[in-house]
Amino acid sequence: MKQIVVHQEKCTACRECELACSFSHENIFSPTLSRIRIADFYEEQFYQPMVCVHCADAPCAAVCPTVAIQRQTDGQIKVLDDRCIGCKMCLLACPFGVMGFSPEKGVAHNCDFCDGDPQCVQFCTPGALEFKDVVAIEALAKQKAAAALGLPKA
Amino acid sequence: MPTRYVLIGNSAAALEAIRGIRKHDREGAITVINREEGPAYSRVALPYYVAGEMTLNDLLIRQRPDYGSLGASLVEKENVTAIDAAGKKVMLASGKKVEFDKLLIGTGSETIKPPIQGLDQVPHHYLWTLDDAIGMKKAAEKAQTAVVIGGGFIGMLAAEALRKLKIKLTIVEMAPILLPQLLDEGAGKLFLQAVRDEGVTVRTDALVSALAKKGDAIEVTLKDGTTFTVDMAVVATGVKPHVQCVSNGAVTVNKGIVVNEYLASNHPDIYAAGDVAETKDFLSADRSIYAIWPTAVEQGRAAGANMAGAKQVYPGGLGMNVVELFNVTLAQLGRFREGAGDDVKMLNQGGDGLYRKVVVDKNGTLVGAVYLGNENGAAEMGVIHSAIKRREKWQGFQDGRPPVFTYASVMHRVPRY
Ligand SMILES: Cc1cc2nc3c(=O)[nH]c(=O)nc-3n(C[C@H](O)[C@H](O)[C@H](O)COP(=O)(O)OP(=O)(O)OC[C@H]3O[C@@H](n4cnc5c(N)ncnc54)[C@H](O)[C@@H]3O)c2cc1C
Ligand code: SF4
Ligand code: SF4
Repeated sequence: MKQIVVHQEKCTACRECELACSFSHENIFSPTLSRIRIADFYEEQFYQPMVCVHCADAPCAAVCPTVAIQRQTDGQIKVLDDRCIGCKMCLLACPFGVMGFSPEKGVAHNCDFCDGDPQCVQFCTPGALEFKDVVAIEALAKQKAAAALGLPKA
Repeated sequence: MPTRYVLIGNSAAALEAIRGIRKHDREGAITVINREEGPAYSRVALPYYVAGEMTLNDLLIRQRPDYGSLGASLVEKENVTAIDAAGKKVMLASGKKVEFDKLLIGTGSETIKPPIQGLDQVPHHYLWTLDDAIGMKKAAEKAQTAVVIGGGFIGMLAAEALRKLKIKLTIVEMAPILLPQLLDEGAGKLFLQAVRDEGVTVRTDALVSALAKKGDAIEVTLKDGTTFTVDMAVVATGVKPHVQCVSNGAVTVNKGIVVNEYLASNHPDIYAAGDVAETKDFLSADRSIYAIWPTAVEQGRAAGANMAGAKQVYPGGLGMNVVELFNVTLAQLGRFREGAGDDVKMLNQGGDGLYRKVVVDKNGTLVGAVYLGNENGAAEMGVIHSAIKRREKWQGFQDGRPPVFTYASVMHRVPRY
């Protein structure tokens, strides 16, 4: 599947991605509504883009009490707006803190790859974000990372 | 011969058990027995039905064909009255018997009936089953005022649903704060104020001693002698494990069905999961029951896998709740009220309507958190949740950075406010 690949060492915390994401989905420049967020450690000059990794055995989907979170054929984990009741259990289940919430729509939201053309990637000048077919080995590395975080193995 | 799996219950625990079983066994025959009619619905969504935001159809989380496609058959409207552990059979109210090789008891909770004088003589509503919700919605259509007896989780969800229907509410709670199982005193006070600011009458430190019919209305009497009348009464004074079908001693029952780290009872072929199961606790040496959806899912999945021969260890129950009520988002994790030796990190004290508290034990390990604020903080609680599960140390506020790189410390640096 295609995924957003993060090259942490290239991130400068310019936060263009946050604005691009919120504008393209929500029509407003609001970092709190962005589905990608930058964790910044300014003193250590360490900036970590945080975005949904579409977990192999997604804790958000497992916990959703209305089956609103479903894996799509392209592999992405998607929130179905018309099934979501806004209970936020998925926000409490995501170990990366990347399930967000839109108070206006009353539904949860995660990265949806912008229908195949992620805007965060488009606007990431330093090239810290890439949207590409992850080869099996990378996907596996991600799964391992998730497992190391105590998530169930797929 | 393929294994015969029998699951009692058709909700979070049993549904996840089907998945757990199928991960390890594609052949076995699965029979799901439920006393209710129809495919599974979501209990968590019931308040939205009461409030008129969802239809009965919206509540469904399975359709009938879903069972078949997983190789499971659904037996509807059959109450399991007893279990013959030695003969490995379950007895149904209709007189039928169903044999099993592996059994899961996922019978959930039942509501507790409070000792209120006259309760049986006046119409009143619980909120646990679909039938309860249908009854409550009907009554709410005709009501202008209501009393909610019990300001816990379910009581507050009922209150929120009725408020959306513009019903004038009085909430009566025994504790000094609302949601005492979810909030500490600090957050509790803030929440109480938020509810009162919405024009709701809240009586804390109060008990309803009697209910009586007064024409079409209901007269409520509190222990201190106060009386008032309302159009409808909601009773939400807690739930307890629904253990009737094993009251003959088929398996060991303490508060709930006592299970080991594999979710098996004292009978090796009988498992229990969800609200009915009493498991080990994640944070202490105690045994615990957290009647919440996520635990039912986790336990159901592990129990199913183990019934099918896996050896999946369940790490123990951990309390977690998140809810939006009266325009405030509340969340709680683990040991949110500090015990002896615990240390508290107050990240926000409640000014600007934001309250963030983290509890760490004497070793500096994260054990709990409380959050009150807007929806943005819930994701952070998710990160703390997984950090607690990994028994991580709290890094966010130690002097002498740089901190060890953990997701908990990352989150502390994601500006969400
Ligand atoms: C209104 C409401 C809102 C809630 N909101 C939340 C929330 O926001 N977050 C949260 O974490 N939790 C919430 N909960 C709690 C959550 O729904 C439960 O913890 C969860 O449903 C437990 O799942 P379970 O499978 O263990 O049991 P249950 O969901 O109680 O299911 C038990 C099943 O067993 C069947 N059954 C019982 N006895 C028998 C018998 N003798 N024979 C045959 N069948 C039987 C029942 O019909 C049912 O299908 C809420 C509950 C309610 C009522
Ligand atoms: S748990 Fe978080 S990272 Fe994993 S799929 Fe869900 S939202 Fe994405
Ligand atoms: S907020 Fe929506 S998507 Fe998330 S768990 Fe609740 S119903 Fe499911």
